[in-house]
Amino acid sequence: MADVTLKAAAEPAVTKGALSRFGAWLSQERVFRWIPFVLVEGTFILVIIIPFLLTIYISFLRWRANRPFEQAQLSGFRNYEQVLTDAGFWASLGRTFYFAGTAVIFELVIGFFLAMLVHRVVRGRRIYITLFLIPMMVVPVVAGYNFSMIYLDSGPLNQLLSPFTNMLGINPRIRWLSDPTAAQLAIIIADIWQWTSLTFLIFLSGFSSLPPQLINAARVLGANKRQIFFWIELPLLKPAIVIAVVIRSMEALKLFDPVVLLTFGGPGTSTQTIAYYLWEQVWQFNKYSFGAAASILLLILFSVLIFVGIWLLIRQRNQFEQQQETAT
Amino acid sequence: MKKHLVTTSMIALAGALSFGLISTSPVLAQTDPVAQRAIDGAKAYVKAKGLENPQLDMLLNSLYRNSLPDFAAEWKELTGIEIVSEPLGYTDIPSKIMGEAVAKTGAFDLFNDFPYTQPDAAGAGVLQPLDEYAAKYKPDFSGIPGAFVAQQYYNGKQYSFVLDGDHIMLVLRKDIVENPLAQAEFKAATGKDLGCPATMADWEEQAKFFHTKAGETRWGITFEQPLYGAMGYRSVNFSHRHFPAYFGGLLFDKDMNPKINSPQGIKAIKDLASIVKYMPEDVQGWGTPQIYPFWGSGQAYSVMSFPSIFGYGNANPKSTVKGKQLPCVIPATDAGGKMVRRAAEAAGTSYMVNAYSDHPELAYLFIQWLTSPSVGNRAIAHPKGFWDPFRKQNLGVEGIANKFSNEFLEKTMENAEFTTSLLYIEGHYEYMKILDNNLADVMNGNITAEKAAANVEKGWNNVTEDVGRDAQIDVWRKGVEAGLYVDKF
Repeated sequence: MADVTLKAAAEPAVTKGALSRFGAWLSQERVFRWIPFVLVEGTFILVIIIPFLLTIYISFLRWRANRPFEQAQLSGFRNYEQVLTDAGFWASLGRTFYFAGTAVIFELVIGFFLAMLVHRVVRGRRIYITLFLIPMMVVPVVAGYNFSMIYLDSGPLNQLLSPFTNMLGINPRIRWLSDPTAAQLAIIIADIWQWTSLTFLIFLSGFSSLPPQLINAARVLGANKRQIFFWIELPLLKPAIVIAVVIRSMEALKLFDPVVLLTFGGPGTSTQTIAYYLWEQVWQFNKYSFGAAASILLLILFSVLIFVGIWLLIRQRNQFEQQQETAT
Repeated sequence: MKKHLVTTSMIALAGALSFGLISTSPVLAQTDPVAQRAIDGAKAYVKAKGLENPQLDMLLNSLYRNSLPDFAAEWKELTGIEIVSEPLGYTDIPSKIMGEAVAKTGAFDLFNDFPYTQPDAAGAGVLQPLDEYAAKYKPDFSGIPGAFVAQQYYNGKQYSFVLDGDHIMLVLRKDIVENPLAQAEFKAATGKDLGCPATMADWEEQAKFFHTKAGETRWGITFEQPLYGAMGYRSVNFSHRHFPAYFGGLLFDKDMNPKINSPQGIKAIKDLASIVKYMPEDVQGWGTPQIYPFWGSGQAYSVMSFPSIFGYGNANPKSTVKGKQLPCVIPATDAGGKMVRRAAEAAGTSYMVNAYSDHPELAYLFIQWLTSPSVGNRAIAHPKGFWDPFRKQNLGVEGIANKFSNEFLEKTMENAEFTTSLLYIEGHYEYMKILDNNLADVMNGNITAEKAAANVEKGWNNVTEDVGRDAQIDVWRKGVEAGLYVDKF
């Protein structure tokens, strides 16, 4: 009995001693300086590296989720071959570039003009900024639902357009969500509405950071508004333009929400983007290894694009810094 | 004599009270041995395991969020077991179930979804085989048409209970069909009597005849809005659900070679696409939330849909077609020289048990109770439910008759005999999406029916190879033999 009591009393002391020794070990300079590195790298390995390696591994398996994972077998490059020979993959990819390209061009132009106008407005500027940023703040599901109402063939958009469609002799009940061409436009319009706010914000910050002394000097030297815009403001805004192009393009290539919410990729496959295609292959058809292979291929493709984008950004920044140095 | 009168009155009063209690409180009305076995079994299970505050979690098709909780509350009152439901859109449920197959969390004890999720889920091992429990608690499948019974099984094992007759049917506007002027004009134009169309071609003929522009006056009626000749599901993920009604046979031969790239298949594609010109222009973007109210607004002459559209037309307060609906069995189609009726089970409602549940037996008992003849009847009669009649025991039930009408019930039971499953094998959603995409392309004039048939054949063969041809042939043959598709090899 006495032994048991002694043992019980001794246990916390042992634990406390071990903890103290561990604390002392950690507080040593040679150990302590490694702690942030280990935590950051550990998180990186856990969150990025392991899932990435797992994705690569799955991409080499023959596995659909309708069979237990334990029954999966290695299949070499079979999935990659299937992806690269799948017409649906290429069609979705092409459609994504078409949607992204069209939407981003409009978002850049509209965002730029809105930013330019708001930059020049003195009264009510904050109200305009708030109003123009609202679309970006709206939850995509809400935006999608609203657009599904707007796009009804007897809905408000067709009512608004009816004077023009009647004038042009077009059927005023445009099938925004069920006609293949109109549905593609519907997706692009919804994306433009939601994400022009972002380009507006980037351009507004660009306009706000324009050096007033350069513009004032040009004005003193007799430059008119057009010359100031084309010869001073626009060149100085190039870094902001590149940032807007890169960020929006990268985001637009992941276009998914409006597709699911408005058309489910239809009619047929006319609005299927690559993100939707992947989602369908994995989550609807249970083709996990096929999806993993397609993801890896897309990662390589998009990495190249992102690399080019970042290179453009760096080049613009260097040019901008050189211009600043020359100006000063 | 007085004493006798008092005694008689007392007995009558007690009888009346008892009857009143029974008829108003479903909790006490467990005269159904199948339901009673489930209740007794659940109570015994809880006692034997010493469970305190037992709870079952259910992944619920959100269509039932306003009706299933009533039955969950009743089950809790009967057994003390709480059913916690997590409503989710039906498009999202299959991926959740398949995710569970990988994660094996046991977070849900029960799954509620279309029966067509069952093959993939069973193959992945996420569904609990129910045969052992069924042998112990003896469910009753009497009065259920063969295809519905067969849908509860996959590869020879029972995995689910079915409680919904979602076999598509045709509904016409009775007020127009019975209009003497319309009848005479139709007879003069076609030489046929007006009524439920015998064939798909007859249906299209009627759709063409009754398709009316806004402002026209016909048969003494001035149409302020257009009257569309037909309506049906033609949107993404839905078109394919009507295809078996046009094809009229097995989609594959016994070696899983697709039969769609044939004169029969090409004709079926053409027929399915052809009638679209008499449907609302936007129909390819419409699902149930658009089709049901449109039918209720009285702007269509006919609709091919789930049977619940008839209940909607009768019960919805805003419906203008109440009492003006004529239910019809599915029209026959020319299946390679033979006229056959095939009412595709286009969706459906199944209840499955998670293999990773902590209490699969308890979960089983709830679904046996819910789908038992008596409770199932009350579910189908539930005003906010989407369960449709499908078994003989649904006939003669006052609540169901009030909701659907006796005329409809007789017709839907007749139609149920022609019920065929879409495709009850692994990869169902991929097979059907290939068909769906190509049907859409034909409807939009992007490709010909011949090209679509060839595309579907190629796509289906790819899926079969990818899933595993031998395994697919095996379950396909078993399914055909079990009566899933009405047709045999």
